[in-house]
Amino acid sequence: MNHFCREASQLQSDELERKLTLMERIQLRMHLLLCGACRNYADNLQLLNSFFHNLRKQTEKDESITLPDHDRERIKEALKKASGS
Amino acid sequence: MSKEASNPESWLTDHGDYLFRYAQSRLRNEEQASDMVQETLLAAWRGWERFSGNSSVRTWLVGILKHKITDLIRKEIRNRRLAEAVESDPTSSLFSADGRWIEAPTSWKENPEDLCESDQFQKTLQGCIDKLPEKQQIVFRMREISGEDTESICKTAEITSTHLHVLIHRARLALRTCLDHHWFGGNRHS
Repeated sequence: MNHFCREASQLQSDELERKLTLMERIQLRMHLLLCGACRNYADNLQLLNSFFHNLRKQTEKDESITLPDHDRERIKEALKKASGS
Repeated sequence: MSKEASNPESWLTDHGDYLFRYAQSRLRNEEQASDMVQETLLAAWRGWERFSGNSSVRTWLVGILKHKITDLIRKEIRNRRLAEAVESDPTSSLFSADGRWIEAPTSWKENPEDLCESDQFQKTLQGCIDKLPEKQQIVFRMREISGEDTESICKTAEITSTHLHVLIHRARLALRTCLDHHWFGGNRHS
């Protein structure tokens, strides 16, 4: 008998990327009802997904990451040259 | 437009760190990130008359920066095209011939907020991403670290959305396995 886990893992990833077709959704839901391993995979993906979502929000606010001083000086010089002041 | 607003040195002071953070999170290379900031500010200065004033200066600068980063990534992908001919497929080592998990995934008990706080986890994660095949790494970072949408990633990487979804799927599988071994599994056994 062929198992659906390999296909289910692709569908679960795809579900985060695109709208699944009705058939795909039914196949996936049916399989998840029966398969604990794939339900765990779903949880793992969900956790990673929320993690990356939080991470994106956090990086833009993380003020500990700053333009290094020597680069800032170099850029300042380049801008001075370009603006002719 | 006020004279103050069109002074590129004040853009550097006001937005330099923000632009750098933006570039650094997407490129993970300090040198490239600061080069991108410089190119962005120079381009902004040259194109100042095109700034409509409908958006904030920062939004305008980020828009320019985004284009610059996309161009850079596209060039890198093009340069590596030959080396990327063979893409690794982790599914053969994770699933048996009849389509079952060889090692069944187990539930992970941690929550995403705690993980975000953990430098150690972020290091482990970066290590796992670094181990992915190059093309998977690039598109996965664009997708999950930068939060780009399918259309813009496909355009940058010059691939179809079907191909992109396969790459992302493979990256997720490999990443899950790597994190399970190096982080979650480690916690389970301790």
